[in-house]
Amino acid sequence: MAKLLDKQRYKCALGAMQTVQAIDRALPILHSGPGCAQKLSESIGSSGYFSPNIFPCTSINEKDVVFGGVKKLNSTIENALKVIDADLYVVLTGCIPEIVGDDSGEVVSRYADNDKPVVYAPTAGFKGNNYKGHEQVVDAIIDQYLKKSDKRTKGLVNIWADVPYQDLFWLGNLRELEKLISEIGLTPNTIFGYQRGIQNINKIPEAEFNLLVSPWVGLSNMKKMEKKLGIPYLHYKTLPIGATETSKFLREVGRFAEIDSELVESVIKKHENYYYYLIERYADLFLENRVINKQFSLVSDAHYALAITKFLANDLGLVPAKQFIVDDTPKKYQEEISNEFKKLNYGIEADVAFETDGFKIHEEIKNHDYHGYPLILGGYYEKEVTEQLKGNFLNISYPVQDKVVFDDFYVGYTGGIRLIEDIYTVAVQRFN
Amino acid sequence: MSELRQIAIYGKGGIGKSTTTQNLTAGLVEHGKKVMVVGCDPKADSTRLLLGGLAQKTVLDTIREEGEDVELDRILKEGYGGTKCVESGGPEPGVGCAGRGIITSINMLENLGAYTDDLDYVFYDVLGDVVCGGFAMPIREGKAKEIYIVASGEMMALYAANNISKGISRYARTGGVRLGGIICNSRNVDRELDLLRAFAKELGTKLLYFVPRDNIVQHAEINKKTVIEYKPDSKQAQEYRNLAQAVIENKDFVIPTPMTQERLEEILMEYGMMELADDYKI
Repeated sequence: MAKLLDKQRYKCALGAMQTVQAIDRALPILHSGPGCAQKLSESIGSSGYFSPNIFPCTSINEKDVVFGGVKKLNSTIENALKVIDADLYVVLTGCIPEIVGDDSGEVVSRYADNDKPVVYAPTAGFKGNNYKGHEQVVDAIIDQYLKKSDKRTKGLVNIWADVPYQDLFWLGNLRELEKLISEIGLTPNTIFGYQRGIQNINKIPEAEFNLLVSPWVGLSNMKKMEKKLGIPYLHYKTLPIGATETSKFLREVGRFAEIDSELVESVIKKHENYYYYLIERYADLFLENRVINKQFSLVSDAHYALAITKFLANDLGLVPAKQFIVDDTPKKYQEEISNEFKKLNYGIEADVAFETDGFKIHEEIKNHDYHGYPLILGGYYEKEVTEQLKGNFLNISYPVQDKVVFDDFYVGYTGGIRLIEDIYTVAVQRFN
Repeated sequence: MSELRQIAIYGKGGIGKSTTTQNLTAGLVEHGKKVMVVGCDPKADSTRLLLGGLAQKTVLDTIREEGEDVELDRILKEGYGGTKCVESGGPEPGVGCAGRGIITSINMLENLGAYTDDLDYVFYDVLGDVVCGGFAMPIREGKAKEIYIVASGEMMALYAANNISKGISRYARTGGVRLGGIICNSRNVDRELDLLRAFAKELGTKLLYFVPRDNIVQHAEINKKTVIEYKPDSKQAQEYRNLAQAVIENKDFVIPTPMTQERLEEILMEYGMMELADDYKI
């Protein structure tokens, strides 16, 4: 039955244009109507290499629907190659050409011998949201560009985590994960952000393993790389935030990579010492502050809902109320993700709802007894409802209006401290 | 002047929709009716007999080559007995969206004022299978209110007719479209008349007319003419005149009651189709 989707937290698969824009010197070429492009080009901070608002687009119209848009696509690619000097061109298709049946893959295959790679990701909106679109773009690179390598670089690890721009902290998170991985003696390889780009994409096939830090997004990419490139993967479902999870994370990566546990433990010890030093210094704040109530709810994608729930329960000793996952997680992953919420310290389990309807989520939040001021971490949509409940609100997930993030991050030991800072900044600013 | 009757002709591919429509049109012209025929098939062969050949540039070819700023006389040609002939046309096979092409064409005809007040009939001759929404365009948005399905005693023709009826009943619920009956374009199959009558009855409609098989139709086609033009005194020409009369007089318009696959096969069994399916001759 048709229903009104209230407060949607994602874009259509074509929103994966952001994934392309996060790759240094990569250019999206849209095969879509002009409206799609306009609506998707609003993300903040994506003007790095090429403008987020200026990119090649076939701007198809009725005539292209009737007669097919492949000629226009071909000329658009041809001219993009002439006019814009990029390292990687990614053709993204919208709904119309996919419905009409344009053979975009064939058009793109004509550029197989081009100096610079041109790949094609079918990102029609009806195929799913931009989380799926992100996977399509990575798939396109694996399928159409990468080749199996005989060479293996010892200790080289491809890291895959956040969906760029959909997740505000993607850049900082990736950099921090790289740093942590380096400290235990591995060599990180990521493809998104400053000075990564094509040279890092080229390194993917030589890696010893793929490290996926995400509950579900990217898992299909890992399987594909395992099959095509022969690269095994470690799937670590929780983005590690704070000491408990980060230490666990480092130990598991260390075990998988067969790294001397003494080295891993020494890295962990160094970080934990500093982490708890900071926590201790502010123990008074945690104990005396009366406006942070014990119960909290997350409203975000599975990635952050799981990561922050674990952090708040395990590190800060807060009690989870219901958690809301809003990324339209495919059904096949839901049970496994729900089980992760049952693995909290002190035998605590969190109740989880996979719900995309903002109205229903807000009704549940309003009707729940948080035993005081609720702590809500979510999208900007949650700000108003939290204010109505006189709660504390932190904007950590899409859509973000409350925060400007350049390369801030919540991942790791340092990230955990940043998150505590942000939460308690909200609390101390409160005028009661 | 009587009210404009807009009629869509559907039926399995190759059943003789275009031939029947054009001969029927010729019959109506003899009754002094003003008729427009709109071909809704990318093959663009719906007006060949009326125009004396594939003389027509299709709407979509015109749009493709000349842009959307076209005059009506570029796409509408006058054929036998003053009939107005239009071919929607389509994209090249295998590319684009032919269904959308038909929507574009019909919208363009409306905008250009092709539907003049002096018309008595407009026929839409639609591609065999209604494969997508575009091919249902003639019966959407209150255009054709009347539908005839061309069928024969062949099994697949009846399967197709039943399927088309499903489409009609869907649009009938929201719009005013109704089934006017089945026109049999005979293939000389055993007990064809009985079978078609039974089939039509099951659909809640009637067999409007039974057009017997006659090779003169093929001769006329080779000569790019309707039978009425080619051999006005022939028996077959009279059959088409009778068909035209039946259409003029028809007042029975129904929402069809399509049958289940099982029921359709039962009827076919009853009339001996299933056993004959292997060895019937055309």
